[in-house]
Amino acid sequence: MTVTLLNAAATPENSMGWMAFLMQKYANLFWEGTWITLYVAVIGTLLGFVLGYVVGIVQDIVISKEDHLVKKIIYHIMKKVAWVYVEIFRGTPMIVQGMIIYYGLHQADVKITSITAGILVTLLNTGSYMSETVRGGIKSIETGQREGALALGMSPVSAMLNVILPQAFKNIMPEMANTFLSNIKMTSVLNVIGVSELFMTAKTAGSTYYKYFEAYLVIAVIYLVLCFVFNRLFMLLEKKLAGKQEYVLAAEYMDNQ
Amino acid sequence: MADEIISIRDLSKSFGTHEVLKKIDVAVEAGEVICVVGSSGSGKSTLLRCINRLEHQTSGEILFHGQPVKNAQKDVNEYRARVGMVFQSFNLFNNMTVLKNCMAGTRKVLHISKEEAFDRAITHLKAVGMAPFINAMPSQLSGGQKQRVAIARALCMNPEVLLFDEPTSALDPEMVGEVLAVMKELARTGLTMIIVTHEMGFARDVSTRTIFMDKGYVVESDAPERLFTNPQNPRTQQFLSRFIAG
Repeated sequence: MTVTLLNAAATPENSMGWMAFLMQKYANLFWEGTWITLYVAVIGTLLGFVLGYVVGIVQDIVISKEDHLVKKIIYHIMKKVAWVYVEIFRGTPMIVQGMIIYYGLHQADVKITSITAGILVTLLNTGSYMSETVRGGIKSIETGQREGALALGMSPVSAMLNVILPQAFKNIMPEMANTFLSNIKMTSVLNVIGVSELFMTAKTAGSTYYKYFEAYLVIAVIYLVLCFVFNRLFMLLEKKLAGKQEYVLAAEYMDNQ
Repeated sequence: MADEIISIRDLSKSFGTHEVLKKIDVAVEAGEVICVVGSSGSGKSTLLRCINRLEHQTSGEILFHGQPVKNAQKDVNEYRARVGMVFQSFNLFNNMTVLKNCMAGTRKVLHISKEEAFDRAITHLKAVGMAPFINAMPSQLSGGQKQRVAIARALCMNPEVLLFDEPTSALDPEMVGEVLAVMKELARTGLTMIIVTHEMGFARDVSTRTIFMDKGYVVESDAPERLFTNPQNPRTQQFLSRFIAG
């Protein structure tokens, strides 16, 4: 290490210089940290969204008097499980969840890498918040939409998938973007279970030269750029989902007017 | 009896302690156009929603071709596919174009081919004068246009009975005309219809039978020419007085 230091052409004189120096020297490390941060955040969030939709739909189930007894019991258990899950994961910090899941599984002799554990924590955490967002999104769609679908003979599931969810999805898109951006940053707590994401990278890079301030400034910039880019992508997606403002009259059917 | 499509027997419906339908008995035969009139809160819409199973009756039964509709979701879905419904608030799917709205039922429920579903949609959209608007989203249409699309959407399922729940109550007077014209045309084709409406002129001209409801009861049920000129029940007389005098 000393050798490397002595070989460096010149020791940086200010923080900007140190940032450039660290970025250059630990380029691979930072790239890897960025990659792992994105990997955990993207996979964890996407799976969390799926879980959130499932739990949100379960929470939205209305048990009616006419339902078969077995169906009622199953629905009741599903709703209870969903409720307990959401309460627990919304009511505890992600950093604590990470520790409990990672060390708990290891203690139970389940071999799990820290990255897998990190994804698991992210998805469970996201799912619990997302389920409430989805439930709100479903509630925001007027009941007429559902009744219109049922009146055509669609099953409640088909009505949900074809009519209600596509509309709810559009409504909760901004909140999904929020969750995703928040997750990019929240993965930083996963360094406590040894996920070598950006925070861990900065810790490592900063320690060699005792330049923590500069190392963390580097990753702050990286987080900022990531969030900026993804925010733009979400805005594009939202615009695309909003659809066209105008429509073209089908001229071929005009003479039938 | 053989061509009775829907028979409502001794039907009651309560919301909590409030009884909105009281022992209703109505039989609907093929080809009938039944208009249900009465003041707001008389239970007209609830009756229609019970027929369509959007509400579940407290007691009594609804027979479809002489058979009670089973409670299993599958049976309810099949029944609804054969009994169409047009709503006051249109209920067009906001996430679909006019064309997709008209193909949703035939594709997702009847599972017919895309080509056939398209042909059916165009045929019925032409009939209601909405074919040029196939690419429009519901939010881009006027109320009358939406309701005409909703009628076309219901017709695409080739229903045996079509239920109308105050189809013109959310429309301004000009649009009421265009929707009623479409319904008049449908009545002429012999489609069986049950129409809850406040349009007395329409009920008198188009229905084969008019039912007057009050406080959850069917008070009077008769051919429109009799009901509108010579109602028997005092409550019917009172409700129609303004109309008969005019």
